[in-house]
Amino acid sequence: MNGIKVENISFSYTEGQPVLSNIDVHFRQESTAIIGQNGAGKTTFVKLLKGLLKPATGNIYVNGMNTQEYTVAQLAKQIGLVFQNPNDQIFKHTVIEEVMFGPKNIGQSTEEARQNSLLALEKIGIVHEADKNPYDLSLSDRKLVSIASILAMKPPIIIFDEPTMGQDYLGKERLKKIMKDLRAEGVLVLSIIHDMDFVAETFERTIVMNQGKIVLDGPTREVFSHEQLIRDVYLELPHATQLGKQLGLKQTFLTVDELINFNRKKQ
Amino acid sequence: MTLYVKQDSLIHEIDPITKVIYAFVAALLPYILPSHTVALIVLVISIMLLVVGKVFRKIIPLIGLSLFLIVSLVIIQGIFRPDNVTPLFHFGPIIFYKEGLSYGLLLMLRVINLLCAFGVLILTTKPDDLIQSFIQKGMSPRIGYVIGSVLQLIPQMSATIATIKDAQRSRGLETEGSLLVRIKAFLPLIGPVIMNSLISTRERSIALEVRGFNAKQKKTFLHEVHTYKYAKVIQAVLILIFIFAILWRIFL
Repeated sequence: MNGIKVENISFSYTEGQPVLSNIDVHFRQESTAIIGQNGAGKTTFVKLLKGLLKPATGNIYVNGMNTQEYTVAQLAKQIGLVFQNPNDQIFKHTVIEEVMFGPKNIGQSTEEARQNSLLALEKIGIVHEADKNPYDLSLSDRKLVSIASILAMKPPIIIFDEPTMGQDYLGKERLKKIMKDLRAEGVLVLSIIHDMDFVAETFERTIVMNQGKIVLDGPTREVFSHEQLIRDVYLELPHATQLGKQLGLKQTFLTVDELINFNRKKQ
Repeated sequence: MTLYVKQDSLIHEIDPITKVIYAFVAALLPYILPSHTVALIVLVISIMLLVVGKVFRKIIPLIGLSLFLIVSLVIIQGIFRPDNVTPLFHFGPIIFYKEGLSYGLLLMLRVINLLCAFGVLILTTKPDDLIQSFIQKGMSPRIGYVIGSVLQLIPQMSATIATIKDAQRSRGLETEGSLLVRIKAFLPLIGPVIMNSLISTRERSIALEVRGFNAKQKKTFLHEVHTYKYAKVIQAVLILIFIFAILWRIFL
């Protein structure tokens, strides 16, 4: 069964300045958003999950594999990470080859890799760009290429780092759908994200990090009901939630649709 | 990437140009006057300045780095110098001569002296201040920019390379192991590095241009370079010593 088990880990880049301390958490199936102020330790945390960094104390098990005992490349089959900046990975001359690089690395045959890559590009809506040079695409489309390049590897766990950055409404809707489809296929989806509306509309579970610790962890609706705590860590509530509060409603609303439906029923 | 150490000391207060002059004069003196005493005196002065500047400990690893060169200089001169005549001691069949060792020692003093003299400059001067002083003295801002960006580029590039390595390892690329594995990993790693630096070079030049880098007007400077009270006096003394040394060498 898919899952990441994080057992009481701590981590620091320089001694005496802990970046993460005593994190103990278990990811099962729920799609999970990781939110927090800049510098809260989110990126460091996902790098640890991915095995790019190894915890100073404690253990992380990705689908039962202890990250301390495997190389990043070996873990790549189990867990995919979409980096923030697509320029950090693109080196092939065509989009399709770029997307096929990962799948081929983890042992898919060329034909298999091509199929999976086309499928991923299709899903993400840029299959018509397959033969273009990635650097001729806009940055937001290049970001989609980097997402497709992970999807094509078909890992059972996918982590996104700031996927909505630079995406317009359409791009975000597409991402939302991709994440929900992945969830439906049984893929464990985690994401670092700053767009609270996107969090509210997409994720079942939300983790709030602050100064290297998890300060809130629970179903997204419950997390956003802690208005004061969210403010204390310098985050803001999703717009629909804010509006609901300002209308003096007791429930915590996550999406505009929820709010509208609620009002309709009342009338 | 800079060796500059932020400290509060007399040496840090001295303006960059004076320190540049000191570095050159101190580095050249032992060559103009090739005696052990001169080299030793200059070296002691440089070390004293480093101590006053509270950066003496930072020079030790730099000297350590060049130790291999220094030691091999002494050994080779001690054994093979052509005017070797007086044997001093021997290890088995290898004989060390007095003349060679003495010359090797002088070379060693010169190298350490060079390091310490420039250490005074580099360890106590912010690169930005140094570059700005040169530009104010009339150096082209373009050259100043090139020097400044090289200093910035190296740490920036190594950070980019680390990220790229992470990104490719995340896609199942093995980067460690046999030579073949490493060769295979080269292209996926170097490709994005080059693309990234080309892109950032273009963007940086645009960013510079929109802020009037090539404007023809006389420029003002954001930071006021602190002037040191005795700068002119020290500079004059240093240059006098330098001229005196040359004259000494020629006429005596």
